[in-house]
Amino acid sequence: MNEYRAQADALDARIRAAIAAYALDERAFDALACDVFAHQFRWNAAYGAYARSIGVTERALPRTATAIPALPAAAFKDAVLCTVAPERAALRFDTSGTTRARSGRHYLESPVLYEAALLAGFDRAMLADGVPLRYAMLVPDPRDVPHSSLGFMLATIARERGDGNEGWYLHGGGLDVARLTADVARAHADGVAVCVATTAFALVALLDELAAGGRTLPLPPGSRIMETGGFKGRTRFVGRSELYARAAGACALDEAAIVAEYGMTELSSQYYDSPASRRSGQRFKTPPPWLRPIVVDGSGRPVPNGIVGAIRHIDCANRSSVVAIDTEDLGAITPRGLLLLGREEGAALRGCSLDAEDLLRR
Amino acid sequence: MRKISCADSTALRALSARSIVAAIGAAAQRWTDADFPPRVRATAAIEERLGYTTPVVDYALDRLFGGITAEALAAAIVDELGSLEILDGFVERPGRPAAWARGANAVTVISSDTTIGVAIAPLIFALCAKCAVTVKDRADALVAAFAATLGDERAALQTATDVRAWSGGDDDIEAQTLGGADVVVAFGGNEALRAIRLRCASDAAFVPFGHRASAGYVSAPALAGEAGALAAGIARDALLYDGDGCLSLHLLFVERAPGGGHERFVDVLAGACAANAIEFPPGPRKPARAARIAAYAAAAAFRAANGSGRVMRAPDGAWTIVVEPPEDDLPPFGGGVIPVIFVDTVGDAAAYVERYRLPLQAVGIASIGEAAAMAQAFGAVRVAPLGRLQDPPLAGHHGGRARIADFIRWVDRA
Repeated sequence: MNEYRAQADALDARIRAAIAAYALDERAFDALACDVFAHQFRWNAAYGAYARSIGVTERALPRTATAIPALPAAAFKDAVLCTVAPERAALRFDTSGTTRARSGRHYLESPVLYEAALLAGFDRAMLADGVPLRYAMLVPDPRDVPHSSLGFMLATIARERGDGNEGWYLHGGGLDVARLTADVARAHADGVAVCVATTAFALVALLDELAAGGRTLPLPPGSRIMETGGFKGRTRFVGRSELYARAAGACALDEAAIVAEYGMTELSSQYYDSPASRRSGQRFKTPPPWLRPIVVDGSGRPVPNGIVGAIRHIDCANRSSVVAIDTEDLGAITPRGLLLLGREEGAALRGCSLDAEDLLRR
Repeated sequence: MRKISCADSTALRALSARSIVAAIGAAAQRWTDADFPPRVRATAAIEERLGYTTPVVDYALDRLFGGITAEALAAAIVDELGSLEILDGFVERPGRPAAWARGANAVTVISSDTTIGVAIAPLIFALCAKCAVTVKDRADALVAAFAATLGDERAALQTATDVRAWSGGDDDIEAQTLGGADVVVAFGGNEALRAIRLRCASDAAFVPFGHRASAGYVSAPALAGEAGALAAGIARDALLYDGDGCLSLHLLFVERAPGGGHERFVDVLAGACAANAIEFPPGPRKPARAARIAAYAAAAAFRAANGSGRVMRAPDGAWTIVVEPPEDDLPPFGGGVIPVIFVDTVGDAAAYVERYRLPLQAVGIASIGEAAAMAQAFGAVRVAPLGRLQDPPLAGHHGGRARIADFIRWVDRA
């Protein structure tokens, strides 16, 4: 166990250093990612077994990030994927299980890396102008949903970056617009800008309710919206450009003040809209230095930049779980950043066979 | 009387049903020649639209047009209506009033989500009923090309047919073609079918063909027989058209056999899949489909590495066999994936189907003697020998429905 501790502590120190410096060049990233994988190959039994099954050995470990065997996010449903036993993990996040019956669990040994990674990414993406913010959360309160990674993330942000007056407005699936409106009025009176952190679906619900009452909700100057998540499993879908235009109008914001975050329960780090693309119709995602996307084809091989494929995430901050995770999200690497296309692009069936999503909607 | 699109069946109604049947059979006969120029053009267009390779499209067109014969058309019509002549006028019937099976005036066929030529069967039976038929075609224009050949045989067949392509939701066209039709035949997913149904006239007949799955069942005695031939049939049923069709095999139930024969059969099946991929090479999958299949296969490989189930996969992902997938993890239905589920009895397999309320189109079986039991157990509308799932007979009941009865109205002389 001492060997494990020494190895884990050394890796954590390197990752924390990269987070603090907010820098990691190509070679250093490859080296760190491969060392994290080697650690997991040894101590994460289920991941190690998978890697061995496809030919990885102690003597033939990957030397580049692209060579690291990736696990599909679905694997978190089938096994404990952690370098320590679940009872020794400090954090447990449950996946939503949106498309399949079972949900998965992402265990993390310590909150330290997770919090450092999320705060560093958030600081660069949302707080670069240094404006102090009050947080309004249109996501489930973590006291109601204790194993929500999104709830944990936003609670951490509010605790570490907020003014102590944050509010949670989504309870039991219902949005408390009256209380939100009152709190925004108080923020105006206090002269404090607000950061509304919301899922896309909750934002639609807010805008619909405001529109039904013929009202708007102008936010104090300097305010912004962090939008996360999509519409999966919901009965109503609104296009992102339409949603942002409506939100900007209702909240008296510039559309560039609305920033999309892209993350997963199975990751410790998040992507955000790049600042340069926030004024354009096409947004691109930027990862923090210790997180890299690789776009792969159906056989798991990286595709050239500009070609659409499935996104694989190499997240060094996942030191105690799985460093390389394959998703079904589509995207392409471009000079401007990661173009995220989601899951629907090109997903239409060619024939009349049944589709699992369709079956679940019956 | 409703008038839609530019399809006009006036001239067609002057023809005898027998002559119409003969003309359709002759047109289809021309399309069985792989060098027939319209077929050559259509083949290229289908490959472009669906991404299938030439051997796959050729197989499909051979089966499609080879099955459209005057004899098969006549047999289906006589089976359902009693005679061909009953489509031409009143026919005396012992013990019942004389009757005329008069074709509906206007039929619309929506073939939005189809693999290759699914709209052709309803088109030709509606023409046999002397209806004016509007078909929403796909970008490959296969149906339009075949309609032109029908016109070469009998001009009245082409004037009775209006084949056009349009985008779903085009209000002007859909108001006319759906709202003005006496019969609407539609292929598509649940949401598309609901939307189409809402646009039909209140007294129109709606004939929906929703998305379906098909399954195979290999009994323990069958494992002791010609396992290689059985596996080859299963591979073709599952992998042809990349599993996109409702008649593609999407699930395989294999009975546990003494001595582990069911386990060994999976190895035989893997060999058959590899051979099938050579005979019918799959084309490229769209990225979303490829990602979904890759994720499913990788999850299976992860489980297998940790002692649960087994997975075999072509290096290029053309086919994937997943043995004993978790019961609560739905397979992707196609994409070259064959989930193999070991069972002790037909009842176990039926329970699996029931658990997910899987709408089964067909069940492939190893021995025709098992047909009645399988039909009873699975609630499928077709039971076929494994290897023949993708080759439905024209005179059969696709989707469990009549072929021509939906297109006629009975007129009694009493």
